[in-house]
Amino acid sequence: MTSARAIRNAAGIFVVTTFLLGLQGLQGSASAQAPQSVAGIPDITGSWERARDPSIPAASQPPLKPQYLKEQQAKNQAAREASAKGTPLADRATMCLPEGMPAMMGATFPIEILQSKGQITIIEEAFTQVRRILLDQPQKAVADVEPGFYGHSVGHWEGSTLVAETVGVRENVVYQNAPHSADMRIKERISLGANGILRDEITIEDPATLEKPWTFTFGYRRIPNYSLLEYICEDNREYAGENGQQKIRIDAPPNPGK
Amino acid sequence: MILEKFAMPRSLCLAVILLMAASVAEAHHSFAMYDHTRTLTLKGTVTKFQWTNPHAYLELDVRDAKGVVKHYTLEGTSINMMQRIGWRSNMIKFGDSVKAVMAPATSGEPVGLLLEVTLPNGETKQLGVPAGDSFKRTPEQEQKP
Repeated sequence: MTSARAIRNAAGIFVVTTFLLGLQGLQGSASAQAPQSVAGIPDITGSWERARDPSIPAASQPPLKPQYLKEQQAKNQAAREASAKGTPLADRATMCLPEGMPAMMGATFPIEILQSKGQITIIEEAFTQVRRILLDQPQKAVADVEPGFYGHSVGHWEGSTLVAETVGVRENVVYQNAPHSADMRIKERISLGANGILRDEITIEDPATLEKPWTFTFGYRRIPNYSLLEYICEDNREYAGENGQQKIRIDAPPNPGK
Repeated sequence: MILEKFAMPRSLCLAVILLMAASVAEAHHSFAMYDHTRTLTLKGTVTKFQWTNPHAYLELDVRDAKGVVKHYTLEGTSINMMQRIGWRSNMIKFGDSVKAVMAPATSGEPVGLLLEVTLPNGETKQLGVPAGDSFKRTPEQEQKP
């Protein structure tokens, strides 16, 4: 072997070794960022949208106790009647308030799920809603959680199912106008089906207002190559007018009469 | 690559997916304050195109046959919804002449729900109003202001 050839070979080995080390480095950093590569835990990171699918049960009515059922039905009927007359009632959306839990999981706009070490983060595009599910941590006592729109969520993987529980949702943050107490617990079982449909089976437990737990399921399908858009409520012109009706602010035209 | 010839362009795929999504999603805001039984077609001059959430607004000056100008406020949908069906903030500018199809407010105020706009370049764009088909379109020649 000539010395020139030896140098070429050495250089070649160096290049190949560097390349392989580089690959190993990439794989190493990829697994460090993706704890979901643990056996059995599905990769659910990415953008999703609500999907109808035969595997997803139809919506269900809350099994409210009679007095709360009456309250909910009266609210829903008042809203329906006002809409039928062309004078819809203002609601929390009119004020640009985010939906909170569990309504945000209804994903009117797309959602993004992020799996990171010790936490699953779910972002809903509308109102830029964010919730965090803290993994493998004990749940707090309701009294220790400041009531909020999303509450305090903890979760863990049971095989390939993410099991989560949320407490501390404000009493005025409601879904389908169903009243609930401060002690409401939202339990979720999130799993990815072989059909590619992600399902979130939600069970609301609230013995104060419900006859029995209320279970409903949302289904989602992936939106490939979609990044969530920003959503800020800015100069909202909708407001609650007299009698709580939804109104729109009419601005004076910039050039009246021209 | 014979398959490529038959494959749907990615943008079209996304559009189809998002249209399917639109059928599942409910609206955040009620559009019940607008007349579902008739539409008005306005030809006017844009005084403002408000590109905001929760909804966009188009402000339009419309001159009648006698030269009298009436101002209309037209409510659009979420700019996120609009972007997903191809809208951009710079598509309408102050002073543009546009044609707008709207469902008038039942209150009788000069307000409407914007359903469709024909841009100065002649392109007609929908607003992606949820359940937009529930607003019955009135042929232009049969419209009463």
